[in-house]
Amino acid sequence: MTKSNDVKGQMRIIEVILASFIIVFALSFANILAIVPTSPKYEATELEKLGYNVLHDLDKQGLLPRFVYKEEWGNLTAALRVSLPLDVYFNMTVYDLQGTKINNVTIYYGDPETFTASKNIASVTYGLVGYPIKLNATQYQANYEPRTLILQLTRG
Amino acid sequence: MVNAVYDHIIAIIVIGAVFVGAVVALPAMSFVNIRAVDQQQLRNVALNVFNAMLLDTGEPVDWGSKDPFYMDDPRVKRFGLASAQDSTFYVLDPDKVQRLVESNPLNYINYSRVRELLGLQGYGFGLRIIPPFNVTKEDETPITPTNSPANITGPNKDILQYAVKVKYLDGRPIPNAASLAIIVYTDGKKFNITGPCSNWTDALGVCRDNIKLEFAPTSWTVILRVSVADVATLIVTFGKTPKIIDINMVGDQIILTKPKDPSNAAVNVTSVYAIGEQNLLWLLYEGQGPPYDKFNTGEGSPFRLWPPPNHPTHPNGIFPGLSSYNPTILIFNLETSIKKDDEWKPGYQEIMVAGPYQNLLGYTVFQYGGSPKGGSASVRLQRSVIISGMTYIVELTLWKESP
Repeated sequence: MTKSNDVKGQMRIIEVILASFIIVFALSFANILAIVPTSPKYEATELEKLGYNVLHDLDKQGLLPRFVYKEEWGNLTAALRVSLPLDVYFNMTVYDLQGTKINNVTIYYGDPETFTASKNIASVTYGLVGYPIKLNATQYQANYEPRTLILQLTRG
Repeated sequence: MVNAVYDHIIAIIVIGAVFVGAVVALPAMSFVNIRAVDQQQLRNVALNVFNAMLLDTGEPVDWGSKDPFYMDDPRVKRFGLASAQDSTFYVLDPDKVQRLVESNPLNYINYSRVRELLGLQGYGFGLRIIPPFNVTKEDETPITPTNSPANITGPNKDILQYAVKVKYLDGRPIPNAASLAIIVYTDGKKFNITGPCSNWTDALGVCRDNIKLEFAPTSWTVILRVSVADVATLIVTFGKTPKIIDINMVGDQIILTKPKDPSNAAVNVTSVYAIGEQNLLWLLYEGQGPPYDKFNTGEGSPFRLWPPPNHPTHPNGIFPGLSSYNPTILIFNLETSIKKDDEWKPGYQEIMVAGPYQNLLGYTVFQYGGSPKGGSASVRLQRSVIISGMTYIVELTLWKESP
């Protein structure tokens, strides 16, 4: 009788320990599954804003259509380099309406390793619809020739 | 019976230990997430603050152009640096930005007051305005009044020779950057302006030129406008001119103030020119004769030298249309007399050249506010902005300060 009681008591301890481990494990597992906003996601958003801001500024000054339609890729690279902060690397590709790549030289700044290794790459898509052709002193003709600019940004 | 009591006691102890362990361990396990949330919160605050600074005009909308502007002016109800004249985003009002320059002789707004206006109690911030590229001497040393990249050579001492290097912020040279030089000079009797002389940087980012002048100058200044891909422009001035006055511009108003070193000269303004964005020269003022051309060194506001409030053509220094002309450089042609042995020696000409926002825009980094203390988490945001027609990068650093 006495022996039987002893076994029951030990079993309770084992039950408690097991139950505790289950609770701790469940809490840990819930913690792993919990979705919290991580900074990297917001870093990409910040880079997107930065990239869009720069492209919009260039477009507003009438420089972006000039660089793209006259294929002044060197000037476009220089313009992006002076407009973006030093630690922001970029890679731009220009496509036409059929999705064919237009720029025959790379519009690029930074270490290529960073683009392949970085988890936080922001991508900005910017559209240009066309450009004006000067007919005479007062008249212009709008030339519809859409271009899609994909600007990828990451921090070096 | 006794064994069961022991069992329960041990069970309670084990549960207690597991509970304490869980309380200690679990927060540590989720610490990374808590930190991420904390940093995200800081980033959100920074983003709101940055938008308030760059997209809001503040209240009143022309608070930077108030004259007189008092230290920490109580009339400023809301802080914002955006231009009220421009409908596009990220165009800053230079009058407002120069109220952040802590050496501004026409007063400025303190860091603590800006923090209060932005509701940033418990946070610290730092604001930097970074030029988009660098212009240095050919040997890559910075251009300063004592380290000029130009000199006068030739048998008649009438050839100006200069060489500058244009670099990206990472130090790599910029080839094909366009430069336009205007030279303003005097020999003490005659005054002349030569240029603009255009040139380009070579593959090493070096731009050099020899420019023949009309006569051998005693006092001269080169105004060099360097542009990269027509996007970013920097105005660099260097030369050999004495520092007689400080030129300040607020809206359409020019106010001359005295620098720290007092000069023992009597100075008259004989003409004033403004150079605009397209390098066009505008004769702003031609001498009206005494007493209107003479600097005020005795009466009234101690630091305001010229023009006098009762000036016949430009009362209080107002030059209508000046701010919309958007001058990049103001040139003052001055006639100076020096008092020697209690006698005023006959006048000779000197020139004074300065940007309208000389303490703010140019090729140096402008900094305002504090810096984070070691160890405290901070976030950094950047935007490209336009100030007075030129592209700059504005950087905001925000951090939490311990109470």
